[in-house]
Amino acid sequence: MNRTQMNNSQSDPSKIDQILANEEDLIPSSGFLASVMERVNDEARMPAPLPFPWKRAIPGILLASGVFGWGAFEFARQAIQASRTINVTQLQIPASVERPLEQAGWVALALGISFASWLLSRRIAGQSS
Amino acid sequence: MTATPTIAAEDLADVARVLAGDVQAFEGIVRRWQGPLVNMAWRYCRDRGRAEEMAQEAFLRAWRGLPQWRQESSFSTWLFALAANVFRSELKRFPTVNLPLEEIAEPAVPAQQHNALQEKSSHEVLRRAVLALPHRYREPVVLFYFHEMDMSAAARTMGLPEGTLKARLSRARALLRSRFPHLNQESLSPVIAALNTGKEA
Repeated sequence: MNRTQMNNSQSDPSKIDQILANEEDLIPSSGFLASVMERVNDEARMPAPLPFPWKRAIPGILLASGVFGWGAFEFARQAIQASRTINVTQLQIPASVERPLEQAGWVALALGISFASWLLSRRIAGQSS
Repeated sequence: MTATPTIAAEDLADVARVLAGDVQAFEGIVRRWQGPLVNMAWRYCRDRGRAEEMAQEAFLRAWRGLPQWRQESSFSTWLFALAANVFRSELKRFPTVNLPLEEIAEPAVPAQQHNALQEKSSHEVLRRAVLALPHRYREPVVLFYFHEMDMSAAARTMGLPEGTLKARLSRARALLRSRFPHLNQESLSPVIAALNTGKEA
C-alpha cells in the first residue's frame, strides 16, 4: 500500500483501510493471454461490418416521410371538417349520479397517486440495491 | 495502479502499431495490463473464473474501441474506465449471489482456529461484505482500494467528481463500521466475537 497516498486521503487510516488495501494480488492463469489474443485474432480476421447504405436509403426515407406527412395532414384536415358538422349536445347528468361520479373521480385520483408513488419507491429501491 | 512513464510510452507505441494494422502488438498491451484488469475484476465479483472472463471481455472491448481513444487521458485511465463499464454491465446482466450486509456469516468455529487463519478469514468476511453494500457505495470502495487509495484515480475510473466519490466512500465506510463495530481496534479478533454475539442475539 502506498503510505503517502493513504495519508493524503485520510488522516486516520482505519482497520477497514488496512484490510481492504492490503489484498494479495491474483495472478492471471497461464492461458489467459493466449485466450485473449485468440479472441482478438478471431475478431481481426472477421470482415469489417458493411456500412449502412445512406446514399440509397435517403431517397426512400424522404419518400416515406413525405407520404406519412401528407397522410397525417389529410387526416387532420378531414377531422377538422367533420368536427364542424357535428352538433355536440351538453351531456345531462342526473343529480343523483353526479355526486357518486365526483367521488369516483377522487378515488381514481387517489389510486393514480398511490400507483405513481409505488412506482417511484420501486425505482428508488432498485437504484439503491 | 498507475502507469510509469516507460509503461505509458510502451502503451502508446503498441496502440500506434495496432492502429496501423499490427494485431500482434495488442499482445504487449494484454501482457502489461492482464494482472491489474484481472485483479480489478476479482474485486468486483470475488470469483476467479468470472474475473478472468470479465477481464477478457474488457480487453476485447478495448481492442474494438482503440480507434476511439482520443489520448486526452493516459491509456491506463482509459482502459480502467472502459473495464469498469464492462464489469458494471456484466454484473448487472448476471449479478453475483451476495448475502445482504446484515446476513454476512462469521467464519466457522473461530475459537478452534489458529490466530493467523482466524484473522485471514475475518478479513475475507469484510472483503465479501463490500460486495453486499448497495451498488452506489460498492463500486467506489472497490475502485478506491484497487487504486491503492488514490482518490483521483478512482474518481477518473468511475467518471465521477472527487467530492461525490469521497461522500460515497465515507457512507460506505460508515455502513461497514456499523456492521463491524470493532474494526477500528488494534486486533481483528473482536470482529469475530461481535459477529458471534450478533448471531446469538
